[in-house]
Amino acid sequence: MEAQKVDMFILANGKFFEAHNINIIRDKLLLIDDSKWAVLSTIQFKDPTTSLIVSILAGGFGIDRFLIGDTGLGIGKLLTCGGMGIWSIVDWFMIQDATRAKNMEKIQQFLY
Amino acid sequence: MFLSRNKLYLFLSILCTSGYFWMYFNLTKNPIINTEVCLFKHVTKIPCPSCGSSRSITQIIKGNIQQALYLNPLGFISAFILLITPIWILIDVILQKKSLFNWYKKLEQFIRKPKIAILLALLIIINWIWNIKKGI
Repeated sequence: MEAQKVDMFILANGKFFEAHNINIIRDKLLLIDDSKWAVLSTIQFKDPTTSLIVSILAGGFGIDRFLIGDTGLGIGKLLTCGGMGIWSIVDWFMIQDATRAKNMEKIQQFLY
Repeated sequence: MFLSRNKLYLFLSILCTSGYFWMYFNLTKNPIINTEVCLFKHVTKIPCPSCGSSRSITQIIKGNIQQALYLNPLGFISAFILLITPIWILIDVILQKKSLFNWYKKLEQFIRKPKIAILLALLIIINWIWNIKKGI
């Protein structure tokens, strides 16, 4: 893919990924075929800030985990009152990274 | 954080172990000591959807199924998970399989279907309203 398109993608979507992943994504995007651009630009990524807000407000019920697609963990959190409150507090700090990791998982289907 | 087989098994083991410790503590504790740990209940004075699960499991162990059902039906699900998961993990680890991991992934996909998700969310909300009414 053209470097200009790739840089545009990184500029627009950089905040959805972990910093150390951005270079890997850039290198991979440069290698893939131009025909994938249309699909790539339509992928919806989850915003880490949104999940943090949800985690603070409704983390005790596991809604934040449901939001990013970790349904299994969400049920675990719901059934244990947010891990007796401990897990929900831990998730206030973990959920942003978890969201970015989930986004990475999503984009990897297109990179390989 | 990619959820791999070993990570999931480690996480579930920790969850089950703490669950068993919590149940042991609940069964042997002094009844006078108040041990409500739900953060949501402490902050808002309203019970959360799964408040009463520990008491429900305690009643299941004592054989009072009806009382357990009244306290919180989610206790049955928790008790079932607590009972099944360690055995399943042990079998998977010994036989070096990943059947629980595959099943977990399938379950996630099944629950994510909108119809199923809405139905389950409704059930949880109904249970929550019942919990608030009971004043668990």
